[in-house]
Amino acid sequence: MREATRVIDRMRTDPPPRGSRITAPDGRKQVLYEVLASGSGAVLAVFMWGHMFFVASILLGTRTFDTIAQWMEHVYVAQPTVFIVLALFVLHAVLAGRKVPAQLRERKRAFALASDLKQSTRRWTGGDALTRPHAESWIWIWQVRSALLIGILGSFHILLMGLDIFSDLFGRMEGIEAVSSMARTRAGLVWLYLPLLIAVEFHASVGLLRLAVKWGPGNRLSRRTLWRIEHVIFWSFIGLGLLVLVVLAGWIDPPLAFLTGDGP
Amino acid sequence: MSDLQRTDVLVIGAGLAGERCAMEVAASGRECVILSLVPPRRSHSCAAQGGMQAALGNCVKAEGDSPDVHFLDTVRGSDWGADQEVARIFADNAPIAVRELAHFGVPWTRVRAGTNHYFIKGEQVAIEEPKEKAGLIMHRDFGGTAKWRACYAAAGTGHAALYAIDSEVIRLGITVRDRMEAIALIHDGERCHGAVTRCLRTGRLGAILARATVIATGGHGRIYGKYTTNATINEGAGAAIALATGRVPLGNMEAVQFHPTGLWPSGILVTEGCRGDGGYLLNSAGERFLVALEPEKQELASRDVVSRHMMNEIREGRGVDSPNGPHLWLDLRHLGEAHLTTRLREVYEICRDFLGVEPWNELVPVRPTQHYSMGGMRVNKDGEAYGMSGLYAVGEAACWDMHGFNRLGGNSLAETLVAGRVVGRRIADALERTATSADIALVDQAVEGQTRRLRSWADRPEGGSVYEIRDAMAEIMMNRLGVFRTGDELDSAVADLRVLRERLRDASLRSTSPGPNPEIGFAIRLEGMLDLALVTAEGARARTESRGAHSRLDYPARDDERWLNRTLARWPVDADGPVLDYEPVGLLDLPPGERGYGHAKRVEMEMSLEDYNAVVEAAQREQGRLASAEAIGSQLREGAWRAAEDGSKA
Amino acid sequence: MSETSAEQVASTEALVAERKPRRLKFRIFRYNPQDPNSEPRMQEYRLEETPFMTLFIALNRLREEQEADLQFDFACRSAVCGSCGMLVNGRPTLACKTLTSDLPRVIHLHPLPSFQLVGDLSVDTGSWFRGMSERVQAWVHERAPFDPEAQEERMDDELAQAIYESDRCIECGCCVAACGVAATNDEFVAPAGMNRIARFMMDPRDGRGRRDWFDVISSDEGVFGCIGLMACQDVCPKELPLLEVYAYLRRKALGGWFLGGK
Ligand SMILES: Cc1cc2nc3c(=O)[nH]c(=O)nc-3n(C[C@H](O)[C@H](O)[C@H](O)COP(=O)(O)OP(=O)(O)OC[C@H]3O[C@@H](n4cnc5c(N)ncnc54)[C@H](O)[C@@H]3O)c2cc1C
Ligand code: HEM
Ligand code: HEM
Ligand code: SF4
Ligand code: F3S
Ligand code: FES
Repeated sequence: MREATRVIDRMRTDPPPRGSRITAPDGRKQVLYEVLASGSGAVLAVFMWGHMFFVASILLGTRTFDTIAQWMEHVYVAQPTVFIVLALFVLHAVLAGRKVPAQLRERKRAFALASDLKQSTRRWTGGDALTRPHAESWIWIWQVRSALLIGILGSFHILLMGLDIFSDLFGRMEGIEAVSSMARTRAGLVWLYLPLLIAVEFHASVGLLRLAVKWGPGNRLSRRTLWRIEHVIFWSFIGLGLLVLVVLAGWIDPPLAFLTGDGP
Repeated sequence: MSDLQRTDVLVIGAGLAGERCAMEVAASGRECVILSLVPPRRSHSCAAQGGMQAALGNCVKAEGDSPDVHFLDTVRGSDWGADQEVARIFADNAPIAVRELAHFGVPWTRVRAGTNHYFIKGEQVAIEEPKEKAGLIMHRDFGGTAKWRACYAAAGTGHAALYAIDSEVIRLGITVRDRMEAIALIHDGERCHGAVTRCLRTGRLGAILARATVIATGGHGRIYGKYTTNATINEGAGAAIALATGRVPLGNMEAVQFHPTGLWPSGILVTEGCRGDGGYLLNSAGERFLVALEPEKQELASRDVVSRHMMNEIREGRGVDSPNGPHLWLDLRHLGEAHLTTRLREVYEICRDFLGVEPWNELVPVRPTQHYSMGGMRVNKDGEAYGMSGLYAVGEAACWDMHGFNRLGGNSLAETLVAGRVVGRRIADALERTATSADIALVDQAVEGQTRRLRSWADRPEGGSVYEIRDAMAEIMMNRLGVFRTGDELDSAVADLRVLRERLRDASLRSTSPGPNPEIGFAIRLEGMLDLALVTAEGARARTESRGAHSRLDYPARDDERWLNRTLARWPVDADGPVLDYEPVGLLDLPPGERGYGHAKRVEMEMSLEDYNAVVEAAQREQGRLASAEAIGSQLREGAWRAAEDGSKA
Repeated sequence: MSETSAEQVASTEALVAERKPRRLKFRIFRYNPQDPNSEPRMQEYRLEETPFMTLFIALNRLREEQEADLQFDFACRSAVCGSCGMLVNGRPTLACKTLTSDLPRVIHLHPLPSFQLVGDLSVDTGSWFRGMSERVQAWVHERAPFDPEAQEERMDDELAQAIYESDRCIECGCCVAACGVAATNDEFVAPAGMNRIARFMMDPRDGRGRRDWFDVISSDEGVFGCIGLMACQDVCPKELPLLEVYAYLRRKALGGWFLGGK
């Protein structure tokens, strides 16, 4: 619970003067920013699903993985994707990042509020909306934290993949191939991918939930249902991701390789 | 002085009445300042749930309704205590007030064409609402009316109305100084020049000088302590500061309305709309006792009548015992969840939040509870005080007197808006005619007096607690000035209230912290409340008859021969009690007769109507009534009710 | 019927008897800006719990019996006026309708954040809401002056109910206090403001067109300030569907963009 002294915030800016009214001179621009921030997030989230399915091909064995990778590079899906994703990544980080309070003092205020709300132990009586404790504000703080992590680890990863696809620095040839992927994962990148995986799946699944609520479709479902859907998405991809990661790290053999007859 | 402000019109109170009045003044181009204890939208007008009477006659059960029928109902409801000219002005203007609110954005519930299901006298009835009325403002049934007349916005009529009116106040840019309390009037014995204020943010005193001052402070139910449906801010400061001038009389303070369905024991109101929409009252045996007692109107007789029947039930041992004392049940179960969560939604929320009850499954404990103050600062039909020019009153704080001895449900919201319009206009006109200037010395003197008063509280040696005195007052009021009254109890009430006034002189504060100290604020308001309580008790003791809400067991008959008049109570400066006077109720148009419910004995008036009417004007002038803009009686439309009477009997 | 009433009495009595009175511990924020000697602090009080005790009852008892200068706001004490919003164990809510039996034994009370403090638990929500109303011009922009002679304009009852639904906000400020964005950005019109906008937008009596509304909602002070924290709806004591309001306004803003906005 907050400290007494924290309740009084003498540094607050003055509220808008009496009689002022809102008119946004650049309303159209604001809509655009909002749509781009949300849209880039959504597209990135969908990309991540595709991405997970792609790396999951390793479960079927290295040969399947290579085949898909080579095919993608051959028909030039992979190369532009790197640029597009990088662009979206930056765009999203800049636009969505605007919503994070810039000043430490403001962040502290938001933090105190969110943590109070989370801790509030009141058993709420009454309608559907009031039956559960409120955690969504607190979760948003973790969304920002995860975003920071993604910003650091993710940009490193994307640059690495760019190098892999456009140069022969890694492996025997230009492009992605299972051996080099596994080699660098085992060499230590696994400790980078693990937090990245968790962060990105969390950030994306909660982000999608918020998108649904913010634009409407989510409001037709109860909050409980929404969170159930979010949990299913989150845990499915975490499960899949972890499996892929242990295979990439070489700690187990591709478990489904027998399906393709692709021995280790 | 720290805070002196000048303006054309000062309105004390930001409820519906005050704000509507201020709108009218502002629209005429005058400067206006509104004071309020709380932000305007928190005024108690927001708590009105059920509806607002206006004879639009839109639904089938309202067919044939007209301002004439409304006039009849109002005068009968008042038990002939009303000023019939004011009732006339009111009934004629109520439809305009309701439609104006629609214009300002109130989402009135509308007529739905096709088959509608209503509960009427305990039975579900299907009524076909015609297409051509679809989308017009809907009505619901309220107690004491011949037709369905109460216009409503679900169960939040007052809320919707207050928000709409306050938006207009904001639109007009009227200054509202909330958390600013008026603690005394500035006057020279003839004319009022504004008020001394106390800021509830800083505790500082100030003054506002105005050419006209309007008291719109609402009811004073808190003299009944916790036994009231009123908000904690309804402490009657307006009436008290008017009384303190020594010149201005309060009218009919003994006329106190009890609402049949106050939640027991919290006192929170569940609206009359519950019974209007078909709810029942049950005694401990589960019987609808009102069916036998009031075959005509059953649960929907006027409030005074229903409250008396309920208290009788309890006195005769058919109340339901509970740890907090006996009560009765309100049965809403048959209305069903859908109806209760939409058109009576606020009722459902109250039951759920404060009792943990789902009203479609369980019974609701209720008991008659103090609800409305018919009495208040006596004014003429322009809203101007008796005995002091430049001072006006509107709304529940006023005794404009369309309610007489019993107000009909839904009539007071309508009153606030009608009176606000009418009186606001009159004030604007009067400002054209008068040029006044207040003497600064007068202001200094007034502020100084109040500073001394506050300091005297702060300086007192250790004494009793103000809250204990309040609780003692509440017990006296509820137990001896309740639904039924008797001479002995009234005698003892008067004596005990005088003792309490003594005790208050010896009481002291527990805290001395600077700023808006809530205790000292309450202490000075309690002084006023005790005055009002004593005036109420003295008036009730003197009135040896039963009329409307004033019901004496020792004088059960309504006595039109001796008591067809209005009590006026003045409190001369430095006197230790009020002085009572009486004036005729006003010109009579509808002759005194049977109300049609709550059968009671009557003593007929021997005088003829003509003789009564002949002396009204002079008698009222003698009591300090100032000349109104139009001659007395000019708005009465004599005899217009005759045509309506047959219809209303049906 | 008689059986039901008897049963109900029995169950009420049982309820009262069953609950052993607790000794509640209140930790209350105290600060009087008018007193130069006052410092913000948390102060502790103890109070015996009684059946059906609300925070309205409890705080008044504390003031009357223990701490005479304790400041707080109540008016209607029936959850309709919106005076008594405060943080109860960290959660903004109406104190008057909060039963102590729903709370743990230790109860922390703070004033609502985001509003100017008047003293102790009392904050100035009134000025905030008046400012908001002015900023979004929350009144019906009438198409024609009122005609006292004319019959009222017709309106479908469905629509009237829908307007009433969003008109139910009692300006308690709980949503503003709960919203992390409102806490950090004084310009944000906050959930209650957005709700007000939606209320006038759907009202056919209001003459403002799409363009006018677009200017009001389409900005970070308006609907795009919201980042979907959902606290507003979770705490709103009137259970207003604030999230639906937001989604509706967002879609309107998007529509406004397609229509050419400005
Ligand atoms: C629970 C309840 C339900 C009701 N339901 C209905 C209904 O369904 N239909 C109906 O017609 N009527 C109803 N009424 C009655 C009706 O609501 C009131 O009579 C009416 O609203 C009074 O309005 P008002 O403007 O006179 O006063 P209020 O709305 O009470 O306003 C009083 C104003 O005065 C201010 N004030 C008080 N003292 C001071 C001071 N010393 N200095 C400065 N300002 C001060 C207050 O802050 C407030 O702004 C109901 C009443 C209650 C209590
Ligand atoms: C540097 C990296 C990133 C940063 C700084 C970042 C930051 C943010 C922030 C602050 C928000 C909240 C914005 C708001 O509520 O308005 C957000 C939302 C979102 N993010 Fe990210 N993010 C990053 C990367 C990603 C990635 C890689 C994905 C996809 C996998 C993603 C998907 C989303 C989604 C779907 C939303 C919800 C959109 C919305 O609510 O408007 N983000 N992001
Ligand atoms: C730009 C296009 C991208 C390509 C081509 C790509 C490619 C790959 C490849 C080949 C791997 C296997 C490991 C390796 O080779 O080192 C991998 C793993 C991974 N990538 Fe990407 N990636 C891209 C973008 C992203 C982005 C934007 C993120 C998140 C911010 C991301 C997160 C991950 C994670 C968490 C893993 C570990 C896999 C697991 O644990 O299942 N990738 N990626
Ligand atoms: S929207 Fe709800 S929480 Fe917000 S001010 Fe209105 S009633 Fe209170
Ligand atoms: S809490 Fe605030 S961020 Fe949006 S959903 Fe509610 S306004
Ligand atoms: S006191 Fe009115 S809402 Fe709580």
